[in-house]
Amino acid sequence: MTAGGVSLPELPEPAVRLESTPIGAPAAARGRLTIDGTTVIGLVGVVLVGGLILTAILAPFLAPYDPRERVGIPFQRPSALYPLGTNDIGQDLLSELIYGARVSLTVGIVAATVALIIGTTVGVLAGFYRRIVGSVLMRFVDILLIIPFLPLLIVLAAYLGRSLLNTILIIGVLIWAATARVIRSQVLSLTQRDYIRAARALGASDARIIGRHILPRVLLLGISQFVQATSGAILLEASLSFLGLGDPLQKSWGSILYWAQVRGAFLTDAWLWWVLPPGLLIGAAALGFALMGFALEQRINPQLRSGR
Amino acid sequence: MQRRRGTPGLAWRAGPLALLLVLAGCGQAGPSASVPAETGPAESAVPSTTPEAAVESLRAGMVGDESTLNPYTYVTGFPGWNLLMLQYDSLLQFDVNGEPQPWLASGYEVSADGLTYTVTLVDGVTWNDGTPFTADDVKFTVDYFQANTQSRFTRDLSGVASVTVDAPNKVTITLTSPNPSFPIRALADVPIIPKHIWESVTTPAEATFDSPTNVGTGPYKLVEYVADQSYRFVANETYFRGAPAVKELVLVQYADEAGIVAALRTGDVQAGFRSISPEQVEALAAAPGIDVAQGPEFTTQMLYFDVTKAPFDQLAVRQAISLAIDRQDMVNTVYLGKGTVGNSGWTHPSSPFFNAAVATTTDVARANALLDEAGLTDSNGDGIREFDGNPMSFELLAPSDNPLRLRLAELSREMLAQIGIDAVVTSIERDTLVNRVWPDFDVSKGRDYEMSIFGWSAPVQVDPAQITALVASDPAVGSINIAGFKNAEADRLSGEILVEGDPTRRKDLLGQLQALVADQVPFVMLLYPDGNYAYNADAYDGWAFIAGQGVVNKLSFLQPDSRP
Repeated sequence: MTAGGVSLPELPEPAVRLESTPIGAPAAARGRLTIDGTTVIGLVGVVLVGGLILTAILAPFLAPYDPRERVGIPFQRPSALYPLGTNDIGQDLLSELIYGARVSLTVGIVAATVALIIGTTVGVLAGFYRRIVGSVLMRFVDILLIIPFLPLLIVLAAYLGRSLLNTILIIGVLIWAATARVIRSQVLSLTQRDYIRAARALGASDARIIGRHILPRVLLLGISQFVQATSGAILLEASLSFLGLGDPLQKSWGSILYWAQVRGAFLTDAWLWWVLPPGLLIGAAALGFALMGFALEQRINPQLRSGR
Repeated sequence: MQRRRGTPGLAWRAGPLALLLVLAGCGQAGPSASVPAETGPAESAVPSTTPEAAVESLRAGMVGDESTLNPYTYVTGFPGWNLLMLQYDSLLQFDVNGEPQPWLASGYEVSADGLTYTVTLVDGVTWNDGTPFTADDVKFTVDYFQANTQSRFTRDLSGVASVTVDAPNKVTITLTSPNPSFPIRALADVPIIPKHIWESVTTPAEATFDSPTNVGTGPYKLVEYVADQSYRFVANETYFRGAPAVKELVLVQYADEAGIVAALRTGDVQAGFRSISPEQVEALAAAPGIDVAQGPEFTTQMLYFDVTKAPFDQLAVRQAISLAIDRQDMVNTVYLGKGTVGNSGWTHPSSPFFNAAVATTTDVARANALLDEAGLTDSNGDGIREFDGNPMSFELLAPSDNPLRLRLAELSREMLAQIGIDAVVTSIERDTLVNRVWPDFDVSKGRDYEMSIFGWSAPVQVDPAQITALVASDPAVGSINIAGFKNAEADRLSGEILVEGDPTRRKDLLGQLQALVADQVPFVMLLYPDGNYAYNADAYDGWAFIAGQGVVNKLSFLQPDSRP
């Protein structure tokens, strides 16, 4: 579901043909199904993400306890008092999960924003100045895509130390490459349009062309990339925290899993209430954003806009 | 909880202090070396039942590779030293109470000035290649360790001026200065190595398993070593204390504790050569066929601050911090009760040198009163006191690879908040932490931290005189005084303890120093984790828990009547 694979320029041919044969029965059926399917998928994503964001915002009202307070004896099983039991020092797991939505979603969204900014900048510059600047930038993007991703992430995380800010920056600077490629290909196509040539012939500066004509047209594409990157960033934050490379004192879903792992919950039946819930939430968040991103991309990406 | 694996070889080769560190860093690190203690194992100690017939084979799980297990190549203090000593013997051997008892030596006499040790050796001992063991081997061992310095034992023997062979079964060891800790630190710790093998070894640290260096007098002989996988020992049937109770011992390496626990459950191994974490104890003990041997160990978990820095240079601040820390809460919450509450005088209550008059109290109201009297009040009402106009907010370091220490840091933060001190817990890489707290393992190089959770391995408490290393201001004596503590009375007491030969007077001096530590608070002693060793009682039940040291020792594998 990453953007890199579906944005290659070879795809539009059948799409164009589909568009130009509106009365073909199979084509029409497929077109309608795509629209419905996409909408449904998008809606599911919106519901998932919306629910989680609402949980994060309303955490103080939803959580039964302060997640940093030791409220019970350690390692308790679920009970009426502690619906998901307590962790290894007696903090309420349900409250940790609810507050964890804040950290996990924040990391995801902020890291994806960092990726969006870097990716759009690189993509636009590489597409607009495609000769030297573009070649250099895109080779750099290639390198970034080639480097084994998780090891690099782990090395960076270990080297820079543990804090929420570092986690965000590390994820942000590593996931922008796909965005850059998608944006660049769109810019490449835009710069060949007549009105841009006309603008240039009239003496418009590069800055004006980029700011006035190109950015507005790639921004929507950027947003769909952003939503998908958020999904990836949430998963990465969870991975890093689980491996103990995040800040273990921040209450994110990943760090709940980290504590579950280091305090042996995987070896007892505590996995049912300590491992499964954060796992499901991470899954739900990543899926929600991914579905939204997929639906958005279907609508926005000119090369995938087959149904319209 | 993970034993650090990144620096194999560091432990012994980088000097003795590094050894302490490697162990100290591991919250669950088992003890190593020799540990004197009076009381036996607490709670459900293992009954030393009599194994009727020898067990054919026993498989045990361990974490981390220990290289080829000769005195120059083994890696960590635990279980490396313990496994080494399955093959070798020392002149004295600790009994289950942690007291040194005659072993290769049938006895020794100390001269009145404390400088000369006359050691008589047991007759009829042979190396496991058949060569007889003699006094020449003892003299050779001392000379060899002194000449080849890449070993921890070099430091143990650094105070030896000369060794003379008086008879085939008698040696005289002369020290440069009186050292009451010599029997514990050297005689019961140094493995005796065979002269006929080692005299031709010029690069001991490079000895491979195939080289003939693994010849000892011990109860086991290492016959197979697969790097990063396993060790296989077979019993020395002609061992001078009697044939061991287990004929074959196979050690399987696992990546972590979880691996050992899983293997115990499935029956792949019958014992774990690593203390398991507190939360696993109940679950494992409840599993069919599995028992857990529990007992006191001498590793420490402590809260340090840089006492050279304001406001930690103020006695009231240090005393208030000590009063605010609820040590029992920490034992109950983080260690689930499987630990001993820290004594403010630092020494473990199980130690024969413990001063029982030193009390440890938690009194938040009194702590607050102390700070108020010192003029450290909260003038702006934000819940944090001010010192010289700055909020009393400090960075509290905790090693990122040690979950239990992270939790101790979190609980400290919570407890200090009650007295208006804001501790900001920072989880950092262990190497980074050590470098800030104890740069280059050399306290004379200063320190760069405000507060930190830290701890020492069992050997630091093995020798009761080591308390001087924690508090003396002269780096030569206070080699691990990472707090930067300086106190004239502590220095005076330390100087006396190191040379006092009279046991009663020495114990009295040690007691005085503990009382001073409790009063001056150079650091806050939090707790001493217990050792928990899981084993399958049906497979083998003869374990000997040496107080402070755990079950991984040669006594565990000897018939009860062979033990001291």
